[in-house]
Formats: sequence, structure tokens, C-alpha cells
Amino acid sequence: MSVEKSSKAARGTVQCDNSSFSLLKANDFMAENIRKTVKEKNILLINITSSAGSGKTTLMQETAKRLKDKLKMKVLVGDLETERDADRIKEAGVEALQIVTGGICHLEAQMVWQAMDQIDLEGVDLLFVENVGNLVCPASFDLGEDYRVTLIATTEGDDKPKKYPRMFLTSDLMLVSKCDLLPYLPFTVEAVTKDARDINPDLEVMEIASTSGQGIDEWCNWLLAKVKEKQEAKAVTA
Amino acid sequence: MHEISLVRNIFNTLEDEFSKEDLDRLTGIDLKVGLLANVEPTLMQNAFEAVTETENKFLKAKLSINVVPILVECPLCGDVAEVKNYLFQCGNGHPTNNVIQGEELLIERVHFQED
Repeated sequence: MSVEKSSKAARGTVQCDNSSFSLLKANDFMAENIRKTVKEKNILLINITSSAGSGKTTLMQETAKRLKDKLKMKVLVGDLETERDADRIKEAGVEALQIVTGGICHLEAQMVWQAMDQIDLEGVDLLFVENVGNLVCPASFDLGEDYRVTLIATTEGDDKPKKYPRMFLTSDLMLVSKCDLLPYLPFTVEAVTKDARDINPDLEVMEIASTSGQGIDEWCNWLLAKVKEKQEAKAVTA
Repeated sequence: MHEISLVRNIFNTLEDEFSKEDLDRLTGIDLKVGLLANVEPTLMQNAFEAVTETENKFLKAKLSINVVPILVECPLCGDVAEVKNYLFQCGNGHPTNNVIQGEELLIERVHFQED
């Protein structure tokens, strides 16, 4: 039960209801606001997560180069400090806004909501949120995204998913990045896929290498299909 | 990793839900934390002590953390099973990501002085 502030004094043990006493309540409320806004504006919102250095920003650059003439894409990018990543993405020809978290290890929905207020969302088809490089904390924070995409680089080791189960449980697509290095590393796509699918049997998996271009067309086609799917669903309900 | 901000969330939630007079008589907070919540009980206790002392609030309150296991419910056969070794499947071996317990991060109960 929820206790009104005006009710008589609380005594003894008070059993709490789940919705008011969730510690992520404020985040989940903002995430719902974001979800509603992107639905109204017909924008596909993708939350990109990974460890630090797995190639999120490089993937954003390559995605921007390939898709900027096909649709309107923008990127919000979270980091503890510096504007470096946003600068790199802008060089690829799309608008990017840096969210400096000032030491916080993950993005929260409130930060994304504020950043969305600072960019023009009119006509945008695809909005990426590049999360802080960390497989732990960002897993717990819903940002109102349509899809959560997690990168795992071949340089990280193929036994990572079970060490960070919640991230892989809550992801829709796993991109195995830096696949051009596979011949030199004790990493197999089969092993990482098995480890991740033990946690999440529905997880889609793609192999990419941003610097050589391997798999990037497949990834871009996945995005185009998801944008189309969302816009068609909106058209049906409109 | 973000235990301090979680402790602040506990404080904010309690201040939203109870009056200051009630909270002056707070003696205990019971959290329910799922195994998937990425919360380490020892770090949470340390963060709780640090924040209560810094903010001079809820100094009489004891924090208890109830860690609950991950449970999945199979959409195929309806079996409910505990996830062990991060192998997400029901008791009949059907893979599933339908988690029904284990992601909680909740204040489950609060205790106040009786008198």
C-alpha cells in the first residue's frame, strides 16, 4: 500500500507497493515520456551500448556515411568527459550532441530527455543514443528506446556475455565488432553467440568490422527495415 | 557502481511517500534486490552509511538487503524455474528470456517506531 502524507502517523512495519517504491521510478517515468515522444514524431530510437573501446563511435561514423542520404539521422552521445565523440560523428556528416555525464557511469532517461530538447527533432527518422562505454550500469536504465543494440568486440573475449548478463538479456541485437581481427585472436563468433543466447535466446547476432566495411550493409539494412516498420505501424494507427 | 545515487533515490522516494514526522521515527528500510540489478549489498551498505552521515538523515535506520534469485516462466510449458549459472531456461530445458523475478530494485518494507 502507498501511504498518503496526510494520513495518520506511520507505525510499525509498512509494506510498500512495487510501483511507487521502485528506486528506478523516476527514470522509468522519463523513459515512458521519451517513448511517447518518439512514437508521436515517428522516430526510431536506438540505444547503443558496449564496453569502452568496442567501436561504438566508429560504427556511428560508418552508419552516418552510408545512411545520411537515405534518411535523417542524429546522434546523442554520452561520455564522462570531453566532446571528442560528438566531433568525430559530426565529421561523418550528421548532427551529433554530446551528453557529458560528469562522472556518472551511465545515461539516465532524464539526460536523454534534456538532450532531445536541444536538437531539432523535426523530420528525424533515426535517433541514436550512444551510451557510456560500460556493460554494467547502463543495462538497468531504460531510455525509452525501440531497440537496444550491444557491441562486443573480438578483442574483448568471447566469454563476456555471462559476466554481464543483464545487458545481454535486455538487448535485441548483438553486433560482434572488429571481426576483421578474428584470424589473430582466440575468439569465436560461435562461442560468444552461445554464451549470449544462453541468457537471451531471442538475441539477434551480426558480425561487423567498421574499418573494413564487413557487415555494415547488413546492419544498415536492419536499421532501414526497422525505421520502415515503425513508420508503417504509425501510418496504420494514424 | 552507482550505489550512492541509488541511496539518494531511497531518500527521495521515502520523502515523497512519507511525512517528515514519520521519517524522524524511521528505524529500518528493507530493500528487495534482484540478482540482475547489478547491486552489490556490501557497497550499498557502505554507501547508505556514508550518505546518512553526510546528510545527517535517517541515522537510526537500519538497511536490510534481501537479494532474490532470477526466476523465469516458460511461455511454452508454463514452468517456473530458478536460473542457475546464467543459463536462462525452464525446468524442462526450454530456453526463455521471460524473467519474472530478478530485476527488482525496490523498497519492500519500511519500519517505524511503534510508540
